[in-house]
Amino acid sequence: MKCVVGIDLGSTTTKAVLLDLDGHILGRGITNSRSNYEVACAVAREEALTATRFTTLERELAKTGGASTAEIEAAFRLELYLDQLAGLQAQIERALGMLTYVGQRATLGPAAAAVLEAMRAEAPSLFALGGERKSDFFRDVAGASFMAAAEREAELRRVPFEKLSGLFDRAIIDVETTAQTRKFGDLLRRAALRVAGSGDAAFLGSVDRVAATPIEELSFVGTGYGRQTLPFPKEAVRSEILCHGRGAHRVFPGTRTVLDIGGQDTKAIQVDDHGVVTSFQMNDRCAAGCGRYLGYIADELGLGLHELGPLALGAKRVVKVNSTCTVFAGAELRERLSLGERREDILAGLHRSIMLRAMSLLARSGGISDQFSFTGGVCKNAMATKVLRQLVDENYGEEITLNAHPDSIYMGALGAALFALDDVRAGRPAMLPTFATAATLGGAA
Amino acid sequence: MSARTHLTCGIDPGASTAKVAVMRSRAGADAELLATATQRIRRRDVRQVVRSTFDEACQAAGVDPEQFDYIASTGDADSVEHRTGHFYSMTTHARGALFLAPDARAALDVGALHARALKMDGRGRVLGHRMTSQCASGSGQFLENIARYLGVPLEDVGELSKTGDAPAKVSSVCAVLAETDVINMVSRDIGTANILKGIHLSIAGRLVKLLRAIGAEGIVVVTGGLSRDTGLMAAVEEVVAAEKQKRRRTHAEVTLFTHPDGILAGAIGAALLGAYRYEQLAQRGTDTPIISAQL
Repeated sequence: MKCVVGIDLGSTTTKAVLLDLDGHILGRGITNSRSNYEVACAVAREEALTATRFTTLERELAKTGGASTAEIEAAFRLELYLDQLAGLQAQIERALGMLTYVGQRATLGPAAAAVLEAMRAEAPSLFALGGERKSDFFRDVAGASFMAAAEREAELRRVPFEKLSGLFDRAIIDVETTAQTRKFGDLLRRAALRVAGSGDAAFLGSVDRVAATPIEELSFVGTGYGRQTLPFPKEAVRSEILCHGRGAHRVFPGTRTVLDIGGQDTKAIQVDDHGVVTSFQMNDRCAAGCGRYLGYIADELGLGLHELGPLALGAKRVVKVNSTCTVFAGAELRERLSLGERREDILAGLHRSIMLRAMSLLARSGGISDQFSFTGGVCKNAMATKVLRQLVDENYGEEITLNAHPDSIYMGALGAALFALDDVRAGRPAMLPTFATAATLGGAA
Repeated sequence: MSARTHLTCGIDPGASTAKVAVMRSRAGADAELLATATQRIRRRDVRQVVRSTFDEACQAAGVDPEQFDYIASTGDADSVEHRTGHFYSMTTHARGALFLAPDARAALDVGALHARALKMDGRGRVLGHRMTSQCASGSGQFLENIARYLGVPLEDVGELSKTGDAPAKVSSVCAVLAETDVINMVSRDIGTANILKGIHLSIAGRLVKLLRAIGAEGIVVVTGGLSRDTGLMAAVEEVVAAEKQKRRRTHAEVTLFTHPDGILAGAIGAALLGAYRYEQLAQRGTDTPIISAQL
């Protein structure tokens, strides 16, 4: 299978899109960004490869019948999680070994071991088919599971909770920034055995065939924030603004204005009828108005980022939020909660506040005159989209088409992949990702 | 002045830590700090944390809550349900700072959300103040987030920062986006110590500006949670020293004074002012305590 890769390294999440040579999307992958950019990119790409393989598997299984892809994918996620837990355990043991006081080790060690045991026991229920998770990223899933278990163990064994949570904080950094080879074939086989048992030879055969299909990457383009620090060769880098414009234009060809609310900056982009950028405005100085604002609020409430929108949709009224600063808005949220305001109503106010800042940016970039697309991580948030629709109606009229799609988070990566496809079609020399080590490349790996 | 001593309690809920001080004084004079307690609020209910911190302090002091002549709140009054009365935080910080360092005429309060500098006279009256307002850049909250991100326990941040020899330049002004800056630094292989020092220097720059704005002179008491951060204190001293070298126009000499109980300045001040108000009311013959009166 031949393909091209586009990667969008954002401040919060890293996205990868695989296109076939006809420009059709084969697979998409996403992971949380971390201080080791190369690992973040490698994981996102690995996720996209995994998605591609599952698409292939679905086609394969449709021919033969048998277990559903959803079932085997859930089992695959569980196996992957268990592998990652083993990595976490190793790092926690390392962190324990580095403790200055031996006495601490003696009390914390068994507590940490009990926490990890509880996490393993909880794992199957986390990845059960149709199960709800706050987030799909290992950091979040494992973090929530660890903290819940740590709180119980801390109480039970009378060890300080902070010491236990500190162990996790220290270990997760190393887990996240060390490249782990994902042995896709092994994981998939284990998942298949979990789902179907060893008796179903035909099924296991399809699974092995899919895992062994080589995927050949012909070209690669990367984009993302802080272009100077991206772990890509210079020739393979395109500006984020170009990629978002191109991606949005590809999915919604009528687009003339793009609003991209990313993790740490917000851009209002005007494009022409070929998807080429004609003007833009950007805020990257202040977190208010960016996705990070909502991320901060979610942390403050102990919620997953993707729970915010659905919760805010349940608002009965919109509480006016007075603070601009993200940190202050967090404090205001706490204060209003303690005064008895409903969580949903305050959240509605917070969403309105971030979208109002986006509206002023849009106005400065030249306003909205025709089709308008909303991209970036925040477009996954249904409340943000709803508020944006209201504000567009109020300011520009109801006849404006607002394109927003939950997958719009991949627009930047899609744009990058389209640029990579251009390179292939123009016969430019293949540009391959430098972050992908031999270990992560190839068919069965 | 009354011959009788007063047993009072000061409670300062704060944005991230609840602080309680139990004091004995003669209407605020000849004061003695009997016991203190601090508890991190984390994500718990503030009222409950306040109550439990209060109980802890009472126990440490061996005092029955019924014995208090006055229970004074400062900062967020609503979180202290059993208060006798409330005092404005600026006043309590000035009074508390003076208790910690009687010769000081200025205080620098660095808390979780705000930083402020205030100038006072020998009686603890506030003569002028300046505080960060619109935005949390330079506050304690994000320092905490960053420490967590770097995997450094909060109590180690100060000493680690002091070992930095080539502090990173922190460009972002926003407290939240500075976190992303830090991620960038880690990926550029800048050491933890130098990242922390860079952040400390950037906060220190803002703090010194506040001190200059109020025209602080002589001893400056540092209060608030970040007064315990030795790295930040060193950074403020470094900024002051650098200023002295660079500018021809000489600024007033300032000397930082830190105290282990610096975080309790608000609570201490509230306890002392409570004793004073109790005596005032007693002399006026008012039995009923005035709830939530502003001094």
